Amino acid sequence: MPTAELSGLYAVLIVAAMLGLLALGVWIGLALLGSALLGMLLFSTKLPGDAMATTVFGSVTGWTLTALPLFIWMGEVLFRSRISETMFRGLAPWMSPLPGRLLQVNVAASMVFAAISGSSAATCATVGKITIPELQKRGYPENMMIGSLAGAGTLGLLIPPSIIMIVYAVAADVSINKLFAAGVLPGLVLGGLFMLYNGAWALANPGKIPADDLRMTLAARLRASLSLVPVLLLIGAVLGSIYAGIATATESATIGLIGAFILAAFQGGVNREFFMRTVVGAMRTTTMIMLIIVGASFLGLAMGFSGIPRQLAEWVGKYGLTQGQLLIALTVLYVILGCLLDGVSMVLLTMAVVLPMIKAAGIDPLWFGIFIVIVVEMGQITPPVGFNLFVLQNLLKRDIGFVSRAALPYFFIMLFMLLVIWWWPGLVSWLPSRMTNA
Amino acid sequence: MAVVLDWYFRVTVALAGVCFVAVAGLVTYQLGGQALPYVPRSADEFAGYCMGASAFLGLADALRSGEHIRVTLITSRLGPGARRASEWLALAIGLALSAWMAWYMVRMAWVSWSLDDRSSGLIALPMWIPQAAMAWGAVAFVVAMLEQAARMRSGAPLSGGGETVEFSADR
Repeated sequence: MPTAELSGLYAVLIVAAMLGLLALGVWIGLALLGSALLGMLLFSTKLPGDAMATTVFGSVTGWTLTALPLFIWMGEVLFRSRISETMFRGLAPWMSPLPGRLLQVNVAASMVFAAISGSSAATCATVGKITIPELQKRGYPENMMIGSLAGAGTLGLLIPPSIIMIVYAVAADVSINKLFAAGVLPGLVLGGLFMLYNGAWALANPGKIPADDLRMTLAARLRASLSLVPVLLLIGAVLGSIYAGIATATESATIGLIGAFILAAFQGGVNREFFMRTVVGAMRTTTMIMLIIVGASFLGLAMGFSGIPRQLAEWVGKYGLTQGQLLIALTVLYVILGCLLDGVSMVLLTMAVVLPMIKAAGIDPLWFGIFIVIVVEMGQITPPVGFNLFVLQNLLKRDIGFVSRAALPYFFIMLFMLLVIWWWPGLVSWLPSRMTNA
Repeated sequence: MAVVLDWYFRVTVALAGVCFVAVAGLVTYQLGGQALPYVPRSADEFAGYCMGASAFLGLADALRSGEHIRVTLITSRLGPGARRASEWLALAIGLALSAWMAWYMVRMAWVSWSLDDRSSGLIALPMWIPQAAMAWGAVAFVVAMLEQAARMRSGAPLSGGGETVEFSADR
């Protein structure tokens, strides 16, 4: 064990190495592996290779993590199905009379798709590929169309199932099921805030939102919504089985995967090619995340050897850093990281160091999970690296500057949402506390 | 040579796909045990091994399809010469680290085989089986890195720089 001054110097070296490798453009997972290797060489006298292999093996073969590929596969199936048309047909007649009209479909459809998909970019793309042509055809203001889509798409992370929640839950050793349940109410509230903003903007800018051209009788609306029933059944099966405590996250992911295939089969177009495409797509995404998990797991081990997390946690205690101060500092850190990295890397990169600090400050890791998911959501729409921005840039062929300016108000709504869960932590903890066996 | 390499990567990705689908199959089998009269022995453990095997066997394919992400924020702002140099350096580091990882993954599988190490579940699976699959994948990842070097020599950009914006569905 090196002396205190020396270990401080080593810590700086590791952080510098990591930033250097990332900035150089080394693949993120390997950059983490490399800085962890440096950490092991500095802090431990053992040869790091065998420890790396054992740690990596353990981290990618854990039963709880199997929910990850399954939910990714489920999302991939639904993404390639015709579900977006279904959602638009079912939701538009209800949203059209509201202030903001079809802008609200962006939010409502995102909330529905978020409840069957674990990804923000997929939510944004799935909803956008149907609402963008429909809204453009009617002459909706482009900045509001883009902004509401970029913002609402991020609900894919907060409303369960959620890939980032699985990654966090496994890294922080909290129950995936409880974290999923914890995201439900904040997800609904955040969706509501997005809708309020859209509505308020529409009322403040009369004449900019086109007239309601989807007027129909109540019976016709109900008929239109019938197409949503299978989607709602799927949501019920996945989230219901988790909440009722009859299935683990992995099992409910499998139920969801089978349900997604049935749903896609009813819509037609499911054949061998469709199946293979979903496997390849889901496998590539899973592998990409897994390489980051590989690097991060070894980094976690190296950090454990270094004692840096423990020292930082002690430091939090010694200087009497309040929970609020710590959270503000972390918000700033994550917003900066969110401009540069994707969500999974952001969470895994910092987990080994941040989690002990959080615990030392007496913050509930479950609550912090929701906090970090919202901050990651903000990162999805901050340039230059924001995956929702990339999706919209691609769908619309507009430059990223325009897209990110349009999304900016929604960034501040999410910042406000952080305050909301700070003021009412019950919003996060109430639902999981009512679960009997999670 | 190119044909051999092509087949090598094809077999590897096919194995990854089989393992990937097997995760869902094993969990379904496990789930069935709750309703039907059989005991799904070690299905959860095997699902984990299949996930790990799939993740490693898929590494090469994900590299070749540009799926592994890397930060190009800074390097993309460099001049063409400096950017090229940075890509070579990133690839050299990637090659070194992946080779280091592959060496120890192979070693782990070999040690497990020579000690006849077995899993602790109801079915005592020899640990070298999943570990060898992962080692195979880790080696293929190194080969894919070498292929990247060959591609770069003929002028192609380094994989994963977001040059193809064909994004994947889940992130």
